[in-house]
Amino acid sequence: MKLLEFEAKEILKSAGIPVPKGIVMKAGDDMKAAAAQIGDRLVVKAQVDVGGRGKAGGILMADSGSVQATADGLLQSSIKGIPVYTVLIEEQISIEHEYYLSITIDRASGSPLILFTASGGVDIEEVATSTPDAIRKAVIHPLLTDVPGYTIRYLLNGAPKEIGPIINRLYNVFRSRDALLAEINPLVTTPDGVYAADAKLIVDDNALIRQGIHENRDLNERERCAEEFGFSFVELHGSIGVIGNGAGLTMATVDLITVLGGRPANFLDVGGGADRVRVAHAVRLLGSMPGVTVIIVNLLGGITRCDEVAAGIIDAGVAQQVIVRLAGTNEEEGRRMLNAHGYRMLDTMEEAVAAAVEESS
Amino acid sequence: MIYADRKTRVIVQGATGNQGSFHIGRMNQYARSVGGQGVVAGVTPGKGGQESAGVPVYDSVLEAVHAHDVTASVMFVPGGAAADSIMEAADAGLDLVVAITEHIPVHDVMKACAYAKIRGCTVIGPNCPGLLSPGEISMGIMPSHLYSPGSVGVVSRSGTLTYEVVHELTRAGIGQSSVVGIGGDPVIGQTFADVLDQFSQDPATKAVVLLGELGGNLEEEGARMAELPVVVFIAGTSAPPEKRMGHAGAIVSGGEGDANSKIKRLKALGVPVASRLSEIPELIRKEL
Repeated sequence: MKLLEFEAKEILKSAGIPVPKGIVMKAGDDMKAAAAQIGDRLVVKAQVDVGGRGKAGGILMADSGSVQATADGLLQSSIKGIPVYTVLIEEQISIEHEYYLSITIDRASGSPLILFTASGGVDIEEVATSTPDAIRKAVIHPLLTDVPGYTIRYLLNGAPKEIGPIINRLYNVFRSRDALLAEINPLVTTPDGVYAADAKLIVDDNALIRQGIHENRDLNERERCAEEFGFSFVELHGSIGVIGNGAGLTMATVDLITVLGGRPANFLDVGGGADRVRVAHAVRLLGSMPGVTVIIVNLLGGITRCDEVAAGIIDAGVAQQVIVRLAGTNEEEGRRMLNAHGYRMLDTMEEAVAAAVEESS
Repeated sequence: MIYADRKTRVIVQGATGNQGSFHIGRMNQYARSVGGQGVVAGVTPGKGGQESAGVPVYDSVLEAVHAHDVTASVMFVPGGAAADSIMEAADAGLDLVVAITEHIPVHDVMKACAYAKIRGCTVIGPNCPGLLSPGEISMGIMPSHLYSPGSVGVVSRSGTLTYEVVHELTRAGIGQSSVVGIGGDPVIGQTFADVLDQFSQDPATKAVVLLGELGGNLEEEGARMAELPVVVFIAGTSAPPEKRMGHAGAIVSGGEGDANSKIKRLKALGVPVASRLSEIPELIRKEL
C-alpha cells in the first residue's frame, strides 16, 4: 500500500531524517493560524498519490496572506482525477542542490537495492535513460542491518558526507517498515543541512497487519469487497466477467479473451478451495458489475469438486449467461446440474473463452 | 528428474494443520504408487508425539532429522512464522525446502533465502505448488493424475497455469521429466535460471516449457542462459500497469516488467513464445 507524502515524512522524521517543518490540514481548518507556526514563505502540497503532482497543479507556493485561499482552492480540486482531501503546508526551504535516493527490492538477487544520484528532483526513469552512468547502485545483503561504510562512500560518489547517515536511516526505515519502496526525491542540501523535500513509501501488502495498517487504501470499493472474501480482484472495464482459480490461469483466461477479440471486465482469482459459498459470492460480485454481459468461470484443480462449484453458480442465480469450464472431481454431476439450469459447461479453456467472446458480441 | 527422487526422505513442516495433513496423505499415496520413500515425519512446534496422516510429528526439525535421516522438507507453515521455518530447516542441515506458503512478507523471504543460501540449503518457492517428477516423487500440492512421465521439463511461476499446461502436454502424448513451481512472489529461492541449470544437467530432460508472467525480468534471464531448447508462455499481456494480478510479484512497477515487452525481448533472443496455451504442445514437439 502506498503511503501519502505526509505519512511517509512522519516516518522519516521519527527515524531521524530531517523533513521541512509542516502541518497537515483538511477542508474547514484555519490554515492561516496553523501556518503562523511554520513561517511566512510557504508551500501547499495536495496529498494525493499521483505522479507528476507538481506539474498537474498539486504543489503551490503561498505566503501567510494567501495560504487560506490557496489551501481551500486545492481542497476543492482534483489532481489528475483524484479529489484532494488533505494538504500539507510546509515551510519553503532554500535548496542548494537536489539529490535522489531510493531503496527497492532487486528481484534478481533477492536483496535490497539502493539507488543514489546527484541528478535529483526529476523523474528517475528519465535520468536512467538519459544519463545512466550518473546513477550509483548498490545491492545490500539482506542479513546486514546497516549499510557498510564503503558502500555509502561508493554511492555518494563525492556528494556531501552529511548524506551518508541519511542513507543508513532510510535503509533502517525500509527494513523496519516492510517497505517495497522507500524513496526521497528530492533529497536536498540547504544552508541549514540536508532535508527530505518529498518522500514516498510503499508498504508490502503481506505485512500490513504487523505494520498496524488495517485497511488497504489502494483498493477501490469493489476490490475491497472482493478482498474480504479472499479473492484477488482487478477491474478491467470490459463486458466479459472472469472467474478463475490461481493467478496465472486467471491471467491467461483474461489474455485469451483479448486475443480472441473480446473485452475482459475483470480479473478474479477465487484462490484455493473453490467451494459453493465462495463461488456464489464471486459470481454475484461480477453479476453486479455494470457492463458485464457474460461471465466465464474457468476452474482447474485436482481436488476442486465440480458439483460444489456448480451449486455455487446456481445459488448465485445471476441474470447474465454463465459459461463454465471445470476440471476436477465429480465432473459429470457438475455438468448435469449446470445443464439442468441452462448454463453451458465446456471441456476446454479455449472452447469456453471462445463461447464467452461470441456471447458478448 | 531434478532436486529430488523416489529415494528422497521428506518431512512436512506445518504438519498438523488441514493443509499439512491433507497433503501428507496425498504425497504418500503418490509415493506408494511409485515405490518411493515419501513423507516420513512431520514437524509442528508444540505437537510433538502426535501423528498426522499416519506419520509421527516432532516439535522441531532437528528432532525429526535425528529420528528419520531426512534431507528435504515441504513447508505449509502460515505467513508470519514461515520464514522462521525455512531458517530452521536450513539450520538443521536439510538440502531442500519447498515452501508452499503464500503471503509471507517479502522482507522475511529475503532474509530466510539469504540465510538458507549460507547454510547450503536450496529453497523452492515460497508461494508455489511445489515440484513433481512423474514416476519419482511429489513434493507439494500438484494434482498428480494430470501428469505423465517423459522428457519435457516445466518451470512456472503459477500453480493452476502449470496444471493446465501439464494437462495439455499429457493429452498430446508429451510426458514430463520434472515440473517445478518456483512461486509467484517477487523474491524466490530458485529462479528460472537456477531451475533451467538443473534441467540442463538432467539427462532425462530434452526441452523445457517456461511459464512466466508480468513483473520482473527473471524469464528473460532464464531464457538467455538456457542450454536446452525452451518454449515460453507469458501470462498478463492484458494487465493494466501498477495493478497486482493476484501474485505479489505479478505487477508492473516503475514501467518495468510488463508482459508485452517481456515477450518482445524473449522473441529477440530467438525463443519461441506461445501466444496461447494450446500452442505449447506443438511448439515443444518441434524442439524434441
